[in-house]
Amino acid sequence: MDPKLAEVSQLFERFKAACAREDVDTCCNVLSKLKVLLTGFSSLPPLFEDTPNAIHELTLARDIYEHAVLLSVKIGDQDAFERDFFQLKPYYTDASSRLPPSSQEYMILGLNLLRLLVQNRIAEFHTELELLSSTALENPCIKHAVELEQSFMEGAYNRVLSAKQTVPCKTYDYFMDLLAKTVRDEIAGCSEKAYGYLSVSDARQMLLFSSDNELLQYIKEEQPEWEIKTGQVIFQKAKESASCKEIPSLQLINQTLSYARELERIV
Amino acid sequence: MAATMVSSAGALLAMLNESHPQLKQHALYNLNKFVDQFWPEISTSVPLIESLYEDEEFDRHQRQLAALVVSKVFCYLGDLNDSLSYALGAGSLFDVSEDSDYVHSLLAKAIDEYASLKAKATESNAEAANVDPRLEAIVERMLDKCIMDGKHQQAMGIAIECRRLDKLEEAITRSDNVHGTLSYCINVSHAFVSRREYRCEVLHLLVNVYQKLPYPDYLSICQCLMFLDEPEGVASILEKLLRSENKDDVLLAFQIAFDLVENEHQAFLLNVRDRLSVPKSQSSEMVQPKSSDPDPAQNNSSTASEDVQMTEGTSASIAIVQETDPNDAIYAERLTKIKGILSGETSIQLTLQFLYSHNKSDLLILKTIKQSVEMRNSVCHSATIYANAIMHAGTTVDTFLRDNLDWLSRATNWAKFSATAGLGVIHRGHLQQGRSLMRPYLPQGGSGGGGSPYSEGGALYALGLIHANHGKGIKQFLRDSLRSTNVEVIQHGACLGLGLAALGTADEDIYDDIKSALYTDSAVAGEAAGISMGLLMVGSASEKASEMLTYAHETQHEKIIRGLALGIALTVYGREEEADTLIEQMTRDQDPILRYGGMYALALAYRGTANNKAIRQLLHFAVSDVSDDVRRTAVLALGFVLYSEPEQTPRIVSLLSESYNPHVRYGAALAVGISCAGTGLSEAISLLEPLTSDVVDFVRQGALIAMAMVMVQMNEAGDSRVGTFRRQLEKIILDKHEDTMSKMGAILASGILDAGGRNVTIRLLSKTKHDKVTAVVGLAVFSQFWYWYPLIYFISLSFSPTAFIGLNYDLKVPKFEFLSNAKPSLFEYPKPTTVPTTTSAVKLPTAVLSTSAKAKARAKKEAEQKANAEKAAGAESSSAATNTGKEKSSSEKDADSVQVDSQPEKKAGPEPSFEILTNPARVVPAQEKFIKFMEDSRYAPVKFVPSGFVLLRDLQPTEPEVLSLTDAPSSTVSPAGGSATGQQGSASAMAVDEEPQPPQPFEYTS
Repeated sequence: MDPKLAEVSQLFERFKAACAREDVDTCCNVLSKLKVLLTGFSSLPPLFEDTPNAIHELTLARDIYEHAVLLSVKIGDQDAFERDFFQLKPYYTDASSRLPPSSQEYMILGLNLLRLLVQNRIAEFHTELELLSSTALENPCIKHAVELEQSFMEGAYNRVLSAKQTVPCKTYDYFMDLLAKTVRDEIAGCSEKAYGYLSVSDARQMLLFSSDNELLQYIKEEQPEWEIKTGQVIFQKAKESASCKEIPSLQLINQTLSYARELERIV
Repeated sequence: MAATMVSSAGALLAMLNESHPQLKQHALYNLNKFVDQFWPEISTSVPLIESLYEDEEFDRHQRQLAALVVSKVFCYLGDLNDSLSYALGAGSLFDVSEDSDYVHSLLAKAIDEYASLKAKATESNAEAANVDPRLEAIVERMLDKCIMDGKHQQAMGIAIECRRLDKLEEAITRSDNVHGTLSYCINVSHAFVSRREYRCEVLHLLVNVYQKLPYPDYLSICQCLMFLDEPEGVASILEKLLRSENKDDVLLAFQIAFDLVENEHQAFLLNVRDRLSVPKSQSSEMVQPKSSDPDPAQNNSSTASEDVQMTEGTSASIAIVQETDPNDAIYAERLTKIKGILSGETSIQLTLQFLYSHNKSDLLILKTIKQSVEMRNSVCHSATIYANAIMHAGTTVDTFLRDNLDWLSRATNWAKFSATAGLGVIHRGHLQQGRSLMRPYLPQGGSGGGGSPYSEGGALYALGLIHANHGKGIKQFLRDSLRSTNVEVIQHGACLGLGLAALGTADEDIYDDIKSALYTDSAVAGEAAGISMGLLMVGSASEKASEMLTYAHETQHEKIIRGLALGIALTVYGREEEADTLIEQMTRDQDPILRYGGMYALALAYRGTANNKAIRQLLHFAVSDVSDDVRRTAVLALGFVLYSEPEQTPRIVSLLSESYNPHVRYGAALAVGISCAGTGLSEAISLLEPLTSDVVDFVRQGALIAMAMVMVQMNEAGDSRVGTFRRQLEKIILDKHEDTMSKMGAILASGILDAGGRNVTIRLLSKTKHDKVTAVVGLAVFSQFWYWYPLIYFISLSFSPTAFIGLNYDLKVPKFEFLSNAKPSLFEYPKPTTVPTTTSAVKLPTAVLSTSAKAKARAKKEAEQKANAEKAAGAESSSAATNTGKEKSSSEKDADSVQVDSQPEKKAGPEPSFEILTNPARVVPAQEKFIKFMEDSRYAPVKFVPSGFVLLRDLQPTEPEVLSLTDAPSSTVSPAGGSATGQQGSASAMAVDEEPQPPQPFEYTS
């Protein structure tokens, strides 16, 4: 076996061991080293050169990135998740014809969909969805995300929250928690538009908090522009819709007249 | 397995965000590879890559790589400015030789940028402006690459554009065909270098390069030197050639001299001539007459000055030949010849002979005009006189005037002035005889005899026209006449004459004389004085202009202001940017007449440059000025700016020609007429056609004149519309109810159409693409006829003979034949008009009786039978039969006979596809491209040009030469006799003996 490849596999074993030990720091360090080593293989994307060990290398690299994605979920680092996922993606899309499908593929794709949902990047969510095949859509991991999105869009927020109980995979928990917060933000945004003020208890119900304290905490941290007065939550209409812009009619008239004059003069 | 392709750059972009530098580098490296494909994706991450480029901690190479990627993305996004600045950041990674769209477009951008920076730097005169050295490096790399690859034209273009004269020189000297590249470079510098100063620098460089060559192209050098106004250089080259042992070099020197003369730069030519050194060994007594010879020769009007010089030269050499070596003697002889050429006398004389001997003017046209115009209508009457003068310009044929003395005598006052002046046009170039011809009309030395001041003034003007641009002999006389009179009409004539004779000499004394005439503040004299000052100072850009401007502000007379305005405009002739301040001053003036002068100043300063700025300014004035005069002139001036690119003009003025304002339409017509003069350009004709039937009379006038200028020397075979136009002119002239204005236009147009005995065209550019000063000035003043009819005669200055005149070493015209590879009918003279045109104008259908029809049929049958009996060969028999039949039938109708007769004649036999022309021959501009020289001919031209004066190298010098152009107007001298005349000079003999007598002095009944 190619010495380089051997080195990578060896390192990868160490990485997996560290993961099992939940030793995050070691994981990150080893992962970084792995990634650098991977750049040395020309058979990997984007070059896709046809080297003798190509299949093996590709599989290994895919494994590494899959683990990297899962690691990022574990440590709750969304940026790292995004980075690793994008680097993983070519293995699913472009290299699919050469590699046997990975068992974790749909799970990770579903994770990504969830992430987009959490970050409220709905457009990208749909873009990703369009790229999936119909068989993929049947997969419970994907299906779960799609259903969530539907409920989310309908405004059936309670269904979103209850879906937490039916996650297809343990790794999804992290995002489901985040999703609850996203839902709350949505509700907050809507009520801000819809009401001038709300009583604290109504607001608590509305925002799905179990106690007033939690509500107050939330307002303090996330919505500093809201005010609480005499048991009322007053939504500041901070972003007052800009008054209808006045048409500079006089200027326009002048301009038109001068054009007409010029036109008359020419020819 | 097929290679797998990536479908997205997302992975790489994600990798950029990794913290490990090695990963970033890997990502960058790959991004650079895939940027052509994934730039839309990458463009969203540009800020990230930019930050990498700016990251000081990053490895230098990597930063450059980042810059390159960003630059590429910007290039794809179409933001070339940013792209360029990042490409500069990429340093050596930006590969000039790469063959990709990105590199091509960026290089173009870089060069543009560099050129504009350089141009700005020179304009603001900032020494070594802050040009980015990296940019400079890129451009230099590009230039070097072009030179290496042998793309010298590109390299030269870039070098000129970027003002890198050092690189230009390198490009030229390293090219394989230095002569070719040099001439290309000259063309480029004239056509595309818009700043005059810079063009001078380029030409300087070219001259230097030329001179370093082992076989310099002296013809081109001298052209450059003339543009640079360096008579010393030309003189030294000529001298070198003249001193050469080789006869060919001498021929070359003569050819150079002729080419220089063609540009009509009088002051320059005189300078060159004066700088040619006299043979050094000649003793002082020899130098004496040499230096003073021009004057006596000129004043002695009965002898050809050239001959005087020639004999002097030879006698001198004979005298000295014993004591000095023969080389000097030969040099002296050659020197006299070249001086003759440079003074313009040789060419004028030859032209005169050519125009006289080939004169094909159609007197019948004039006769028709004369009969149809009303006697009492003085405008049309004098228009006819103008037309006659133009038609016979330079031919010395004044039969029409002499035949119609009675009719002529109806001209009174100013009409008499112009009638007399017309003689000057007819005898244009008749330097020796001019004075004696005009003597009857000239003011009689101080006695103030019986002559009318109008004819006297006209005669002075005529003298100016005769000596236009070659007035050395006549200047003194005109000055005396100007000083000795205080009649304003005579002053008027004298001023104009003096201006013409001393055109462009910038002579201070003459200027003072004219100034004193101006300061009499008489409207008539002042106007002429203003124009005359301008003529005198043409192109000198002297401070006199401000003096004139001041006076124009002081005086009350519009005429004087107008004269001065034009005069000021003339002073800045060809100065381009230098004239900008003056133009600005004039165009902002309150007085519309001065603004009008400003238009002329723009036109003349930027003559033939097609300068965008000038065009823009003129178009602006054409639509925005409040005065109709200014608008008209602004449009007209476009014609002058664009005459070097006549194809452009119709397009540019086409909108203006549909203007609601008749003045603008008139201007558009003349603009086309001026810039497309003599080209016969189809677009020009199409544009003018509707204008010739405009609703406003003066627009029709302008259009008719312009059309004639465009169509001059064309015949119906070239463009059928010429025939239509001729018929239209005839109709207008004959129509009783036509407006006087358009009638006058039609009469003038018929004159211009057949100008100079159908042997001249209007040409504003010489063959070397330089402007002809006299011609341009002539047309500019001509366009003033709107205000003052006698100025119509200035158009004669723009006539140049369409002739091929081959000359041998003795500057004689030997017998020499060459080919014109086109059907003769394409370029032949238009057919002379026939007498019965007027009677056959209305032809009623004749009733045909059945009996006569039968008789006709019978006659036809008989003819056919006869023809059959004769058994002429095949196809010819039938055509002959129809011909005879036609002739028979035609004989029944008398009126038609002439026309029908000409048809069968034409049908006879196919036309040959070529024609053999004999030196000297008429070669019209359109014909030039068909001219071929025969290889087995005895003579070979020194320079392969199809028209003008060409020196011929004699390949069989031992055999006796046969001269073809006999000096003589009369037919008594046979060609053989001409050859015998030999050395003893043809021209003078002609002038003395066979010249027809001047017309009898006619009495005016005023």
